Amino acid sequence: MAILELKDIHKSFQDNVVLDGINLSVNKGDIVGIVGPSGTGKSTLLRSINLLERPEQGEIRFEDITLNLPLKGKERKSVTALRKRIGMVFQKFYLFEHKTALQNVMEGLITVQKKPKKETEQIALDALEKVGLKAWKNHYPKHMSGGQQPRVAIARTLAMKPDIILLDEPTSALDPELVTEVLTTIKAIAEQGYTMLLVSHEMDFVSKISNRVLFLDGGKIIEDGTPEEVFRHPKSDRAKEFFDKMNKLKEPEFFI
Amino acid sequence: MDTKFSDYFSVKLMWSRIPYLVKKIPITLELAGLAFLVSIVIGLLIAVIRYKKVKILSPIATAFLSLMRGTPMLIQLYVAYYGIPAILRIFNSWGANIDVNVIPKMVYAFFALGLYQAAFTSETFRAALESVDKGEIEAATAMGMTYGQVLRRIIVPEALENALPGICNSVIGLVKGTSLASTCGIIEITYQNQILAGRDYRYLEGYVALAIIYWIITIILEKIFKLVEKKFRIPEQPKTVEEV
Repeated sequence: MAILELKDIHKSFQDNVVLDGINLSVNKGDIVGIVGPSGTGKSTLLRSINLLERPEQGEIRFEDITLNLPLKGKERKSVTALRKRIGMVFQKFYLFEHKTALQNVMEGLITVQKKPKKETEQIALDALEKVGLKAWKNHYPKHMSGGQQPRVAIARTLAMKPDIILLDEPTSALDPELVTEVLTTIKAIAEQGYTMLLVSHEMDFVSKISNRVLFLDGGKIIEDGTPEEVFRHPKSDRAKEFFDKMNKLKEPEFFI
Repeated sequence: MDTKFSDYFSVKLMWSRIPYLVKKIPITLELAGLAFLVSIVIGLLIAVIRYKKVKILSPIATAFLSLMRGTPMLIQLYVAYYGIPAILRIFNSWGANIDVNVIPKMVYAFFALGLYQAAFTSETFRAALESVDKGEIEAATAMGMTYGQVLRRIIVPEALENALPGICNSVIGLVKGTSLASTCGIIEITYQNQILAGRDYRYLEGYVALAIIYWIITIILEKIFKLVEKKFRIPEQPKTVEEV
């Protein structure tokens, strides 16, 4: 059953068309990997789902919430309602610098979900434990390593128990060692049955954890299928070319 | 006839002047404190209006800021002192019945000082608001916070830390600015000195005594703000990791 549906989403920045009529339907429990060249609207697509970007045209339907774009006055409230149920992990994590790891995780529970403080602390501690950072709960973001910060960001999102988690290149700002650290965490979450949309350049990882892969180019979804279908047998020339280039890097430089 | 240095400046007299001046410190602090409240509230308002680029209000705020920053505080005090009664008299000529002489002199100083400082404080606030990471605002928004919640929970607390040194400056500026309020006839420490010196013509001793008093007040304020800043700042060193 589709939990999230996008219909004919259009978004431009000035003259630059970034999303050119996106249609997408995501089922509950789906782990959707979104890949493609830079600047083809992958991040914009994610950010349009929770309305951090405002598409000019289209329809977003999430369970019982339907938003017709562009938004009219009354629908603004629905945007907040939608955001409360969709979690997001950003490329640069955007932790609250003035709050400790624990306070970061608690913030949304207190302010948005209005849970009592005691309960909140327990939920937050559990969430930190899941990402292996319970012991670091009193650390401020600036005291944490590049691998710990995205994990706190993940815990912050998980604690809210969102229906969908959007991950916007959560590893692209990290060095290879830290990438593994974060990917392990994401994999563990994926196995818990969350619905996830993941934008990433880690093709191997995407093909391992997702059950569906989208290939975006020029603001359009040009490949949509299982990882096997998209990565091994792409139908379009553009995707073929893209994966060929990627694979070239993996080939040895010399043949003897 | 020989003249000694003590004929021009008697240290003993200066010290003896201080207790008389100290008596009026509460008036100085009251003036500065009230003006500070006005400046913080109006300053924050102007800052948010300019930060959010609110239609219609934003250009008005900018014009106000330009006027307040572009004219000396002393002139503003005089304009308030003579201007407010003049305006009230116009109202009276229309049938209102306000006794112009009843308006406490504090009101003029309070308005002129408060509004003058508000202009400067608002810029401190605006710079501080703009220093808050846009990404954190986005993260909070994505969680489902309303803009009011983001402002209260994320933006203002972070901006406050950055604004503290500027606010400290503004408080010190206000305390010293109250000396100009003597021109409105408020008997605070500077005017008190004029009165006392009028009797014995010992102006220099009085002014030096005043300088010492203002300086000490400033030093105390600086120390207080240092403590507050320390409380707000994230510690350099992380706490030790707890054993799980």
